[in-house]
Amino acid sequence: MYHLIFLTFAAFLAAALAPLAGAQETPVADTRNLLKDLQQRVLKLEGAPAKSSLNAFNPAIGMALDAAFHDSNDKAAFQFRAAELGISAPVDPYLKAWTFITGSNGGVGVEEATLETTALPYNLTARGGRLFATFGRMAHFHDHELPVVERPRSLDTYIGGETQADGMEVSWLVPAGFYLNATFGTYNKMGAENDRQDNLGSRALDEFTYLGRLNTYVDLTEAQSVELGVDTAWTPKRTVTEDVTVTGSASALTTRRNTWRTLNGVDMTYRHQPSQGGLYKGLIWGTEVMQNSERRFDPATKLPTDRLRAYSGYSFVELKTSRGWRGGLMADLTEDQDDPHRLTKTFTGFLTYDVTEFQRLRLTYAEGLVNVPGAVKNHTVALQWTGIIGKHVHGFRDR
Amino acid sequence: MRSNVILSLCLSVLCARAADARPLNVVATLPELADIATRVGGAHVKIDVLARGTEDIHQVVMRPSLVPTLNRADAVVYLGLTVEHTFLPGLLDVARNPNLREDAVKQCAGPGCVDCSEGVKILEKPSTLSRSEGEIHPNGNPHYNLDPEEGLTIARNIAAGLSRLDPDHAADYQKNLKVYLAELDAKLVEWRKWAASLKGVKAVSYHQDVPYLARFTGLEFVGTLEAKPGVAPTPMHLEKLVELMKHDKVALIVREQQYAPKLPGWLAEKTGAKVAVIGTMGKAFPETDTFIKMSEHNLKALLGAVGKAP
Repeated sequence: MYHLIFLTFAAFLAAALAPLAGAQETPVADTRNLLKDLQQRVLKLEGAPAKSSLNAFNPAIGMALDAAFHDSNDKAAFQFRAAELGISAPVDPYLKAWTFITGSNGGVGVEEATLETTALPYNLTARGGRLFATFGRMAHFHDHELPVVERPRSLDTYIGGETQADGMEVSWLVPAGFYLNATFGTYNKMGAENDRQDNLGSRALDEFTYLGRLNTYVDLTEAQSVELGVDTAWTPKRTVTEDVTVTGSASALTTRRNTWRTLNGVDMTYRHQPSQGGLYKGLIWGTEVMQNSERRFDPATKLPTDRLRAYSGYSFVELKTSRGWRGGLMADLTEDQDDPHRLTKTFTGFLTYDVTEFQRLRLTYAEGLVNVPGAVKNHTVALQWTGIIGKHVHGFRDR
Repeated sequence: MRSNVILSLCLSVLCARAADARPLNVVATLPELADIATRVGGAHVKIDVLARGTEDIHQVVMRPSLVPTLNRADAVVYLGLTVEHTFLPGLLDVARNPNLREDAVKQCAGPGCVDCSEGVKILEKPSTLSRSEGEIHPNGNPHYNLDPEEGLTIARNIAAGLSRLDPDHAADYQKNLKVYLAELDAKLVEWRKWAASLKGVKAVSYHQDVPYLARFTGLEFVGTLEAKPGVAPTPMHLEKLVELMKHDKVALIVREQQYAPKLPGWLAEKTGAKVAVIGTMGKAFPETDTFIKMSEHNLKALLGAVGKAP
């Protein structure tokens, strides 16, 4: 009887506790399933490639868009200055490459297409292809990275726009306790708009342009520094043939003698950058002087004239007052390369507002005058608007 | 002849020993990392530092004088998560050091790179990458050096990096690490007690660099003076922020040392909140040259602003 009662009670208890036992098993099972699921997901992540897309090795892409409103002596226009597409990536463990393709009202062109070594010994780096030659301080800056809207006249006329060059450069970081960098280059020519040579066709070795540059840097105090550079671009020979369609001569005169050209430059950049202001506050004073020495040719007939030595240069001061605002003044003096007594003076005031790191507004007023009797002053006002999409890095060279 | 050979051999052995004794040239990007690397590395390392500590961490100037330092370096110790993107890759690009190469994604690539962010519990990983969200970091918020707890992770990463690069002295690095961790652990016990007074206090900061500090202190950050990360404050945004601060009864404004005091001061006047000035790097203030001093200074500044004693 007792057995019967006990069994009945046990059966009743088992029936009563059965749902409870199930309830206890369910969370355990859930936790196990969850852990299993998490483990599978972790294994998937650990085993997965960095990117599963076929585009995983595509290069970084960015574009700078540069537009302006330009008023010169009461004649105004909206200018689409440039859309500059930049593409860059490592090629392999030893090489990286980048290209800048620029579209503007003048058409589309390859500004830079450069290969650069990343693993040469002895502190050497070699660059080749179409590159911006390392001449001077500001001449190798892209237009939208200049402190003013228009490229300084001294750089524009003596170099021929940016220092674009098809050729090769080797630079050497001197293993010293201070910063000293030496650059040697050889190119077809330097300057995209330099019409002394062209990039097509072959030439003798003495018709290439050879460049040498040394630059160094000194910290004067915690907040002040000076950067100095000296350079020369030397073209030993040039072949210029008389244009008989203009002169009407029976036979064309070809000149090679005494045609060497040197473009020498010195540059200095002083910076006052109190560290508490980061990059937001401070002062930059930059000066660059160039000397051009060459035998000149009549632009129409291509007949030789005298060897002439002419000078040009600019000096600017830029004051950064806050995170967004910076302004300054630039003076540019440029002697005419055919007539050094003819001097063009350009004074520019500029005010820049960096809306963000990637958007900038800039207002400039420039006044230009050539020192010839009867010359009229040229007044130019420009409002520039620049925006950058995608990848954009200001490297060491552009700082 | 024989004596010459013996002399040459002796000289070679001496030279080799001298080379062995050469300390490891370590470059730290930030002063507090230099401090921890000094503690862990001891006599086996020579430390240089890139940032001065008073700058905006995102805007450290690429001084050419830093290039030879990186050229000679055996290792770079860096915070990572792209916080040094404005200066470290650019400098490495021209430093021509085969052990430390510029890398667009990780900032530094090569055997000498010591990334202190490995193993950090990263906050604020962006769900979408667009510049319309401001200057965001693709791998998450990089300001973990403001969480005192992460000092432990940083120290462990540095010890692991130094041991990998200099296995002969690995035992010393581990010994030094143990001593440092014990010191920091003791401080953390004390700081957690201090932080209890900050729990639940509502605050705003100038820049979005405080989530890790919030994680440690329990502070509740409800907004930033910047309109978006890295985007300067606008009048409209500030008006909205004033309303939000009044509505949420925000008691604290955190100004990072590198930002001018004018706007936080104006905001304090408008809302009655108090301003605490913190450093986002070691040496932001003269007395904060170590990680421990930096963390302690920041906690004291926060407590002081809300009227609590440590």
